[in-house]
Amino acid sequence: MVASDSPFVVQMQDIVKMFPGVRALDHVNFELKPGELRSLVGKNGAGKSTLMNVLAGIYQPEEGKIYVNGQLIHPMTTERARQLGIAFVHQHSQLVPALSIAENIFLGNPLTGGSGFMAWKRLNDEARKRLNTLGLEIDVERKVEDLTVAEKQIIEIAKALFANAHTIILDEATAPLPKDEVNMLFDFVRRQSQQGVAFVYISHYIEEVFELCEVVTVMRDGQIVGDYKVANLDQAELIRLISGTRVEQFHRESRNGSGKTVLEIHGLNRPGFYQDIDLVIHEGEVLGLTGLEGCGKANLARGLYCLEPLGKGQVVLNGKPYHPDEPEAALDAGVAYLPRDRHGMGIVGMRPVGENVTFSILKRLTSRFGLLDTGRERKHILSFVEKLGIKTPSVNQPVEFLSGGNQQKVVFAKLVSAEPRVLFLDEPTQGVDVQAKVEIMKIIDQLSRQGVSSVIVSEEIREMLDVCDRILVMYNGAIVAEFKVGDPNFAAEKILMAVEGEREAL
Amino acid sequence: MNNRKRIVWILNNLIWFLLLLVVLLFALLSDRFFMPMNLTNILLHSTVLGILVVGQSFVLITGNFDLSSESTLGLSALLGAWLILPKGAPTFGGGLLLSPYIGIVAILLIGLAIGWFNGFLITRLKMNNFIVTLAMLLMVRGVMMPITAGNTMARLPDEFKFLGAASFGPIPVAVIAMVIAFAVGYIILQFRPFGRSLYAVGGSPDAALAAGIDPDRRIRQAYLISGVLAAVAGLMLAGRSGVIVQNMGKGDIFEVMAACVIGGISLNGGRGSMFGAFGGVLLLSTINSGLSLLRISTFWIEIASGLIILIAMLIDSQKIRYISSQVVPLTKLEKKPSAEAVSGD
Ligand SMILES: Nc1ncnc2c1ncn2[C@@H]1O[C@H](COP(=O)(O)OP(=O)(O)OP(=O)(O)O)[C@@H](O)[C@H]1O
Ligand SMILES: [Mg+2]
Repeated sequence: MVASDSPFVVQMQDIVKMFPGVRALDHVNFELKPGELRSLVGKNGAGKSTLMNVLAGIYQPEEGKIYVNGQLIHPMTTERARQLGIAFVHQHSQLVPALSIAENIFLGNPLTGGSGFMAWKRLNDEARKRLNTLGLEIDVERKVEDLTVAEKQIIEIAKALFANAHTIILDEATAPLPKDEVNMLFDFVRRQSQQGVAFVYISHYIEEVFELCEVVTVMRDGQIVGDYKVANLDQAELIRLISGTRVEQFHRESRNGSGKTVLEIHGLNRPGFYQDIDLVIHEGEVLGLTGLEGCGKANLARGLYCLEPLGKGQVVLNGKPYHPDEPEAALDAGVAYLPRDRHGMGIVGMRPVGENVTFSILKRLTSRFGLLDTGRERKHILSFVEKLGIKTPSVNQPVEFLSGGNQQKVVFAKLVSAEPRVLFLDEPTQGVDVQAKVEIMKIIDQLSRQGVSSVIVSEEIREMLDVCDRILVMYNGAIVAEFKVGDPNFAAEKILMAVEGEREAL
Repeated sequence: MNNRKRIVWILNNLIWFLLLLVVLLFALLSDRFFMPMNLTNILLHSTVLGILVVGQSFVLITGNFDLSSESTLGLSALLGAWLILPKGAPTFGGGLLLSPYIGIVAILLIGLAIGWFNGFLITRLKMNNFIVTLAMLLMVRGVMMPITAGNTMARLPDEFKFLGAASFGPIPVAVIAMVIAFAVGYIILQFRPFGRSLYAVGGSPDAALAAGIDPDRRIRQAYLISGVLAAVAGLMLAGRSGVIVQNMGKGDIFEVMAACVIGGISLNGGRGSMFGAFGGVLLLSTINSGLSLLRISTFWIEIASGLIILIAMLIDSQKIRYISSQVVPLTKLEKKPSAEAVSGD
């Protein structure tokens, strides 16, 4: 790398990037100083990921210039970007699932110990040592495919840091992370930025933007709206800049509904995951289920949808014993589940938007001879695309080409299509912009008015407060606290304390 | 941006353009190409291949392989004939002398059984589909040998030969059967919930599961279909040749795979249509018959077949690359790096 007088590590000038039917980037300028913590925000499909993909050489722009340390780089390729010290931590894992953590960390520069053979012990020791410097105590011999989404993200970020990058792009890196790990990550990011590493931080979590960054760049419809000092902004103002209009904060008055019991769980036990779960869900109720990563809340939801073993206990749905043996049976019984891992479980990326919406309900869309009524199917798809505001050039577009938030809306459309009675939503607003978040809340609210119960499994307590009637807190596999939202002596702080396992909250 | 759509459309239907090209080429090279005899030959050659391809397509779309289908074809026909033919020369049957209809049912059951076993090993015991069906390819072929001690079975009854040898007027029954197989396959894939869910399974088994589709069950069903259709192909081939030999169908799997891939069925699963696969079958059969019409030695035909498989794979990989990268318009790629740019090292 050549030293230069340029005050910027990265300069992008007049970048234009076209996709079929969209001008994803429209003469965008973007600059970054060494050690800067820059946030990049905007609605779903605003072009944030595309801009960073251009910077990292993944997409070739139609027009524009990219300078790194004052030098014009043309063409920018992924290879060159890496050599130049630009690292990209993607929305979803780019690690090799079948390899261990240590192997992934040293992928591309294996330690052979001079003999030509892999020096496994050295590899593992070295990987462990490096992760320790980041304050991570992880069994480096575990396979990546066995890790949770959160763990994968952490390894990926660590890997970028080990590669001596001076500019690190975090594209919604925190979206799948539990809160305590987000804090750990932020501490780490701050320390690195003091060492001169610049970060571009893409996120839909407005609070995080305020917490971490000094300057925020707002994008809208492929253009830069402006760079703003966080100190001069408040959240409402930033949200207005992002969406271009006023977004009314969604707030649902908590309601009691009909009070009829829909789902009842008694003494449900799954050793190592959760114990003695007693739970009643009422018709039209919106229930929040929160707790730290690993507290068992996600296992419970996945278990009830037959994606993992449920354990022993009594479960009654609509007065009948509920013992489905596979997701299809759960769906038929009226239970649906929105997975946390959108890319792995939510969408079939290579298939069109339309097919993804109807995969769960094909049987219901048949007419004579058990053949699909394609006219009815199309109508159904179009109505959901419109209702949820899914931004796509056509319903035949493969889902993988949609922006993250729009993919999530497709998953939502698929769920709601199945006309469930009880919805389990695992981090439903993940990767969804402020406006779409409000839309999703509205969908949940509307469903609740039609008698559909929702269980939101999430660590976004603030969001849950806006939509839930009741919030249950799990700690170490047990439900330790229950809060009724709107209760006179209800306080959000108490939830936070219960989440951490503090008994006084109860 | 309609250009891109057009390119994708052409890539998806490339097979029909290729077929047209090849037909024109052979018509120019040989004036006998358009003779009814030759056209019928092309269709006849397509029949057994076509039935195998329909079954294979189901399996491929789920993201799996069925390499064993050519052996299934051989064993099922052999066993079915063994049940009905007398002992000793020249028939070499088992001497059970069962009715030909029972023989036909047995053929189908054997196809189902092999398909079931493939599915069982792959989904219940979680064995790799490529290896499982490769092993079955060898084992099932091996089982054929001791049954007739390597002899050729002959004098098949007419009921047995109906599918392969009979015809309605000028149209062979086999051709009708193949067209029906493709049509039904097409309808199942496009318009039956079962068929559509196969694409989800091939595209992402986990997402299919979460959408209430049991990927393992779908995969087992696909193998059953492939097994039973391979058996049908066996009956057809036996009927057409009138005899059953040890190496019946041997080596067909290459042509089957080639036809599927040229026809746009992705080996990675989740993509492809019966319509395209039909085109693939016609293309291969046309090339085959065209080359023999030109009296080109078989050794060239084999080289040509190999080449076609390679070209098919090339098209498949490039198509996926094109569709998934959605890269810049082609003109932009040719732009040279500007002079002031730092050159790569
Ligand atoms: N590979 C692609 N092919 C076609 N269109 C694409 C592709 N990638 C992005 N787009 C389109 O370009 C636009 C910008 O997408 P981009 O992914 O950059 O949005 P984003 O700001 O990152 O959104 P999100 O917050 O939802 O991740 C969208 O309209 C999207 O549909
Ligand atoms: Mg994005």
